[in-house]
Amino acid sequence: MSTPVLEAPGKAPAPKRNGRVGGGLLDPKQLLTSLPDAVKKLNPVTLWRNPVMFIVEIGAVFTTVLAVLEPSFFAWAIVVWLWLTVVFANLAEAVAEGRGKAQAATLRAAKRDTTARRLKSRTSQEWDVVGAPELKQGDFVVVEAGEIIPGDGDVVEGIASVDESAITGESAPVIRESGGDRSAVTGGTKVLSDRIVVEITQKPGESFIDRMIALVEGANRQKTPNEIALNILLAALTIIFLVATATMQPLAIYSKSINLGVPDSLALNANGVTGVVLVSLLVCLIPTTIGALLSAIGIAGMDRLVQRNVLAMSGRAVEAAGDVSTLLLDKTGTITLGNRQASEFVPVAGVTEQELAEAAQLSSLADETPEGRSIVVFAKQHYGLRERQIHGAEWVQFTAQTRMSGVNLGDRQVRKGAATAVMKWARDQGGHPTDEVGHLVDGISGSGGTPLVVAEKGRVLGVIHLKDVVKQGMRERFDEMRRMGIRTVMITGDNPLTAKAIADEAGVDDFLAEATPEDKLTLIRKEQEGGRLVAMTGDGTNDAPALAQADVGVAMNTGTSAAKEAGNMVDLDSNPTKLIEIVEIGKQLLITRGALTTFSIANDIAKYFAIIPAMFAAVYPGLDALNIMRLASPQSAVLSAVVFNAIVIIALIPLALRGVRYRPSSASKLLSRNLYIYGLGGIVAPFLGIKIIDLFIQFLPGMS
Amino acid sequence: MERLPSWLRQHLAALRAVVVLTVLLGVIYPLVTTGVAQALFNGKANGSIVQAGGKDVGSAIIGQKFTDKDGNPVKKYFQSRPSAAGDGYDPTSTSASNLGPDDIVDGPNGGQSLLTQVCARSKAIGELAGVSGARPYCTPDGVGAVLKVFPDHAVSVNQACPATPFVATYEGLKVECGKPGEDYAAGRTVPVRGEAGTPAVPADAVTASGSGLDPHISPAYAELQAPRVARERGIALDKVKQLIEANTTGRTFGFMGEPAVNVLELNLSLDKA
Amino acid sequence: MSTTAAGMIFIVSLIVALGLVHKPLGDYMYRVYTTTRHNVVERGVYRLLGVRADAEQSWGVYARSLLAFSVISILVVYGMQRLQDKLPLSLGMKPVTDHIAWNTAISFVTNTNWQAYSGESTMGYLVQMSALAVQNFVSAAVGMAVAIALVRGFARRKADTIGNFWVDLVRGSLRILLPIAFVGALVLVAGGLIQNLSGLHEVTTLTGGTQGITGGPVASQEAIKELGTNGGGFYNANSAHPFENTTNWTNWLEVFLLLVIPFALPRTFGKLVGQVKQGYAILAVMGVIALTSVLLTNVFELGGNATVPQAVGAAMEGKEVRFGVSDSATFAASTTLTSTGAVNSFHDSFTPFGGMMTMFNMMLGEVAPGGVGSGLYGMLILAVITVFVAGLMVGRTPEYLGKKIGAREIKLASLYFLVTPVLVLIGTAFAMGSAEQRASMLNSGPHGLSEVLYAFTSASNNNGSAFAGITVNTPWYDVALGLCMVFGRFLPIVLALALAGSLARQAPVPAGAGTLPTHRPQFVGMVVGVTIILVALTFLPALALGPIAEGLS
Repeated sequence: MSTPVLEAPGKAPAPKRNGRVGGGLLDPKQLLTSLPDAVKKLNPVTLWRNPVMFIVEIGAVFTTVLAVLEPSFFAWAIVVWLWLTVVFANLAEAVAEGRGKAQAATLRAAKRDTTARRLKSRTSQEWDVVGAPELKQGDFVVVEAGEIIPGDGDVVEGIASVDESAITGESAPVIRESGGDRSAVTGGTKVLSDRIVVEITQKPGESFIDRMIALVEGANRQKTPNEIALNILLAALTIIFLVATATMQPLAIYSKSINLGVPDSLALNANGVTGVVLVSLLVCLIPTTIGALLSAIGIAGMDRLVQRNVLAMSGRAVEAAGDVSTLLLDKTGTITLGNRQASEFVPVAGVTEQELAEAAQLSSLADETPEGRSIVVFAKQHYGLRERQIHGAEWVQFTAQTRMSGVNLGDRQVRKGAATAVMKWARDQGGHPTDEVGHLVDGISGSGGTPLVVAEKGRVLGVIHLKDVVKQGMRERFDEMRRMGIRTVMITGDNPLTAKAIADEAGVDDFLAEATPEDKLTLIRKEQEGGRLVAMTGDGTNDAPALAQADVGVAMNTGTSAAKEAGNMVDLDSNPTKLIEIVEIGKQLLITRGALTTFSIANDIAKYFAIIPAMFAAVYPGLDALNIMRLASPQSAVLSAVVFNAIVIIALIPLALRGVRYRPSSASKLLSRNLYIYGLGGIVAPFLGIKIIDLFIQFLPGMS
Repeated sequence: MERLPSWLRQHLAALRAVVVLTVLLGVIYPLVTTGVAQALFNGKANGSIVQAGGKDVGSAIIGQKFTDKDGNPVKKYFQSRPSAAGDGYDPTSTSASNLGPDDIVDGPNGGQSLLTQVCARSKAIGELAGVSGARPYCTPDGVGAVLKVFPDHAVSVNQACPATPFVATYEGLKVECGKPGEDYAAGRTVPVRGEAGTPAVPADAVTASGSGLDPHISPAYAELQAPRVARERGIALDKVKQLIEANTTGRTFGFMGEPAVNVLELNLSLDKA
Repeated sequence: MSTTAAGMIFIVSLIVALGLVHKPLGDYMYRVYTTTRHNVVERGVYRLLGVRADAEQSWGVYARSLLAFSVISILVVYGMQRLQDKLPLSLGMKPVTDHIAWNTAISFVTNTNWQAYSGESTMGYLVQMSALAVQNFVSAAVGMAVAIALVRGFARRKADTIGNFWVDLVRGSLRILLPIAFVGALVLVAGGLIQNLSGLHEVTTLTGGTQGITGGPVASQEAIKELGTNGGGFYNANSAHPFENTTNWTNWLEVFLLLVIPFALPRTFGKLVGQVKQGYAILAVMGVIALTSVLLTNVFELGGNATVPQAVGAAMEGKEVRFGVSDSATFAASTTLTSTGAVNSFHDSFTPFGGMMTMFNMMLGEVAPGGVGSGLYGMLILAVITVFVAGLMVGRTPEYLGKKIGAREIKLASLYFLVTPVLVLIGTAFAMGSAEQRASMLNSGPHGLSEVLYAFTSASNNNGSAFAGITVNTPWYDVALGLCMVFGRFLPIVLALALAGSLARQAPVPAGAGTLPTHRPQFVGMVVGVTIILVALTFLPALALGPIAEGLS
């Protein structure tokens, strides 16, 4: 939505790039601009919400006091890096929020203070002028060309073209009319033509734009279930390491006391491990990496949806998207292009294809329906028949009574239409259509197509095979879904035969034919009963119950407000195919959390190997064998570990914002891949990182 | 019952459960097992008691010490392993030494470290058997060869003055004998391996067992003692070796445990021979 | 054959034997816990208890029944010790001191069987067989009941109940433990273990000394002591005592008995959740950790790398000749990997790293394979935590066996795995911080620290073995270790049952291609990793100052 301002057209990330979900990019400048916010977040009143970083801050304060009392270069170096660790964590969150704030700013621009012409009643012609914020639910306002719609609502009277670019970024105007599924209008959008009466459906201050602003700002961001669970685990780990480091102290004192000959060091004296080193160990062991990035990951996940013009009403919905195991997809518009198209001319015996094609084309020249156009196009593409201007033709329009259309050109009369209607016409004209026509018609129906019989005077020429055209690449996508463990169900109003044919062609797993809204609801309930999470798209008012019932209900922005209210996401582009991307983004969000948690925990091994020998090799020289990185000195080992611990946060911010690379595949493959990268990588990376840092900082003063 | 508060009902059920299960598992089960065991394996169930001259002299599976009243080995008998059970082989006070693998510095007031105990036993057994009792980390006088190293000197901490330290110098530092009562805790502890090769006295001979009642010694230790026993008893060495062989249990199925010689049974069969 | 080769065959033979009984025993236990039929004895027992055997319990009622049973058990065991001079078969033993009686009562009720006393000089036969040995059965049955209840939580669908504690307790005791223990006891007697009710038998030894040959119903207690992974010895010397473990093959049998149920329970688990493959995965995790640990312990002990073993030529201090170094190491690893704590050799005198392995095994939380029941539920908790991290990495809300691991589940699991490390570390820190408690150490230096660390590790993990040099029959240790045992046992149990309740209420999510497969080597590897990194590394600082410092000196 904010994309038109933030990003030039075309710069918006393509929905799919190389078959994977793309991510937002991190501008290094953002790090700088977010720095003030990051410093503000040091306030313990807000920081305690993040227990891991809160502990780090307490440690930083504690070491600062110690460093003031007993200054040394080593102590101050540790102090600085501990503070940096907290700042870096805050920075991650600030950067993620910063992007949302920028977007919110552009939205606010759209939310100008407009005035409204409020009608006394729906049918009344009298109105008074009130400010938009004063409008209440159930008020009726009249909006004319050039005016801004003062609030969210439904068109109850009239039709108008509306510019919704302020929220969708789409510059082409859309039509809004009373009744039906295109009645919803959004406050802040502009009526370009005509006059409409709108019934306000929002509560004051809770307009769609208000909510969007709140969402992208992360103002009332609530922790999602998985995030809460992960936070609990992180808190538990923090407690365990807190206990492990705190209880080490009496052991250290004892060890020092039984080795009388060993002089005091910066790491260990008669009072045990020094405060600075103890805090360093604690900070290195508790899961700071994931603790620092957790909220940024969540915010960035929402942000990635926003970049795709999808608004999630809650983070919970984004997470649920990752869990979805059944997708309900409307056939029309999602799976098929939406219109039937001619795909074959089947002549009866004794008629050439060319002859049939010519008659079919002739009968359709004036037919402006998509089906009719497709016949002309097909005839041109496959039979070389150009469109022609015909004079003196008398066009016979399709009516519900005749159920056929055609042309009378002199005494040449050509008709095409439903089989029974055209056959009857042919018989009435004195023809005797053979049984062969019936077989052809049945064959096409049986394959899910729609047969149109073409006849000239009393002679049936053949049958046009109209069929639903499945969008390109859908089969591959559904195969992909299947590999991800997601079942796709096509919803259609077609008869089961037709539905099955299209389902087979598109490669969906299942279909629901002749679907009524109640059927959809029943299907969703059935899937949920089996423990599956269901996602669906919908736009009509009659979709609302199903949207509300679905775990992920994506309402089309063009849809009714009832639909938008019922769903937990709104697709501003009104593109039903996007459901698939939403699922991928949901998964990516969870994967990113899991991967960084694994990385964070795996990092501990190297840190133990850096710090334990640094603390205790003085009393037990044998423990130097654990210093497998061969770090230069105890001081440089501890400092290297702390520095690595801080730097890795900064290094991973881009990953947290962008999300871990996600390629749709089976859970098993995904896990292997991520385990190698983030598990094994998490074990190895700190060994290398700490060693490299040590190579540099060993030359600093006080490091030996 | 149903009218009681639920917590009380639960505890009553719990009490009944403890009583009922105690009767089943704590009375019937052990008594039936005892009955069947007594009927089927009477000798074993009662402790595999062995007799000599019509009198019970011990259990075939409990070791005993073969020492005189002063604690000196009775030379005509094969000697058991050292024991930490009471005064040695006391079934009413079973125990291991529980000394750690790096217990090498004797206490300042003469408490022997495990290393010194090992060295002393090795020396004594070596002398008894007429072989060298030398071991790695042991001084020739049978204590642990351990130095406490200070910046300017070193102390052979287990060798109380006026003993001569087992080495004169350590890394250029003069080595002194340990003054009793002096606290050497501040020094760096350095055990010195020394020149000794594979010891002649086997491992089980110088270590206490887990139970303190180990009825066995290793065939190697029996082998070491055989000449002495043969000499004391005036019988052929081969005869003794035969009896050792007869009282050796191998590994069950060829892989369980280690070959072991039952000392009491061996000594009994010597007495009978 | 070399000692090493024989030792390796010993291990292989155990694996083969455990493999052979895995299926039949696992399937048998599955039937025991699922059948709806009660036999005659059980019907009588339920009538005496006044419980309705067919009524299922919610997790709360289940937990309260379990706690009530345990509290009463503690009181009864405590009372019998305190009143033993008034009871028959006391052999003239005095009443047990109050703090030792409390410690012992808790110790046996919690399946720890830590012994602050010396059996032959403290406990009469009635207390041994009717108080202590009864707890050997029922504490093991309680462990199994909790494991089965947790598994039911995974297996059930939208259920409010997780079984009936009394039924699980009685069936576990009477149908599983009792028959095996009975047969085991008789086989052990055939191997030389004693089983009588005679008192001390004084004999005059060959050299004229006197020796008191002890008696007692040892074999019947020995069998259940191993089978129920209890470990409380009839005698102070425990399974090193020739009357408790006579020959090298009774030694094999005892190791087998202490491993057999924990290693068969994954099969029961697989059957209960209807996916035997899941059971094999859990078995594989346990197997990999256990085998690695057993082999490493053997490597360290056979290597004999420390001053005294070097001087001796082998790590024979505290070991019996008939068992040798290797089979002692295997026993030591097995007894600490399970929550048994029986010993056939004395860990205090093990090489530093050999001793560390026994500690490390316990620090893993006793999950590989762990105590009867407690090993399975501990491992399932670790699997839940692994699933949580791994599950996120496949892009879904984590699920294990179709049950979602949400905030409540992870809260319970996290608390569970917090309990023992916190108890161990805080206990050790308190003891090491006080000069008075440090005085209990037999050994000095890092080894003394190891003794204290071992004691708290053993008590908190309900193992019961010891670096036995430490003097723990002081009021402070009896109380502190008693608290560790109580909390280390019942907090995890309540948390596991709460988890069971929360899981049982869920409707399972059907597995699909997007579900994290939890029966593949990949997952097995992850659980092993989580167990080692998350659980055991917590103890690395403490270990560094104890056995590692000692071993690397």
